[in-house]
Amino acid sequence: MNVRYLNPFVEAASEVLLAETALKAERGVLSLEKAPYVTEEVTVVLSLIGQINGVVFYSLSEAVAKFLAGRMLGEPFADFDGLAQSGIAELGNVITGRASVKLAEAGCRADISPPTLLTGQGATLSTLQMARLVVPLHLGSGSLTIHLALREGSQLSGSAANLPIRVPAAG
Amino acid sequence: MMNAKILNPFLEAANEVLAAEAQVQVTRGSLTLQKSAMTTDDVTVLLSMVGRVQGVVLYSLSTQTGLALAAAMMGQAFDAFDSLAQSGIAELGNVITGRASIKLAEAGFQTDISPPTLIQGKAVIISTLDFPRLVVPLTTPLGDLTVHLALREQVGELAEPFVRLALKTTPMEG
Repeated sequence: MNVRYLNPFVEAASEVLLAETALKAERGVLSLEKAPYVTEEVTVVLSLIGQINGVVFYSLSEAVAKFLAGRMLGEPFADFDGLAQSGIAELGNVITGRASVKLAEAGCRADISPPTLLTGQGATLSTLQMARLVVPLHLGSGSLTIHLALREGSQLSGSAANLPIRVPAAG
Repeated sequence: MMNAKILNPFLEAANEVLAAEAQVQVTRGSLTLQKSAMTTDDVTVLLSMVGRVQGVVLYSLSTQTGLALAAAMMGQAFDAFDSLAQSGIAELGNVITGRASIKLAEAGFQTDISPPTLIQGKAVIISTLDFPRLVVPLTTPLGDLTVHLALREQVGELAEPFVRLALKTTPMEG
């Protein structure tokens, strides 16, 4: 895991949070975690595929998710409903998209996948052999944590697909 | 758009990979299209695809099935769903998806796949948002594996390096 991938995400998150929610994000203490991530109440998962490969998570509490969705959409949310969920997934999408533009400018091109939203605390998400760089962004009333499990694009996916597999005879 | 030309490569790949790696024959259950979020089983392997086909692929199974498949793949019994069994099951998802992506490429849909993420813990809700899921249960003698495809064909170049959701957000002023 290369720390130079971190800054584009922190910058993108700060810019997007400022533009979409008018909140100033303050970067917390960075850590490197090898153990699986135990889910917070809300997690947005996206993948990067290209010269950088891997997974990005954004984790937050449901209260912070409702608060951010409310600021983005200009209406308060009593429940973390479908619209609030789309808003938070979109936030992860736009942050990651912006980070990928910054990475491309630095010479690392990667495509990003559509987001997936996990709700529910206490499940474990493992990125297997990839360690995660974790950085919380404090937003005054709560925080949003960025988790990066990225590596140079070895096109692992392609090589796994090329593993020899005996194709069973037809019929 | 989700159709047979996207589905079939996954079904063929799952058949071939499970036969080769775990020596099991697969019986396909009935297809459903689900728009609601998915509630996880014990173990879920999540991978993303980008390219001419975009979206998320999920493989869900019970711990018991995970243990049985890992044992058949590696030729040793597992008492617990430990990190070796976990990586075996993640690799199974990886290899099925990789093989499906080769078949998709042969059919003219060039796609790349992400590394797998393994989710453990029942009753977490996974939402693929405005991507409906095509769900196919696969029955094997070692247990059931359900394939969820939240994929669509990407026509033309993306204007942005990511897929916009249907939602429109209005940025707030200062």
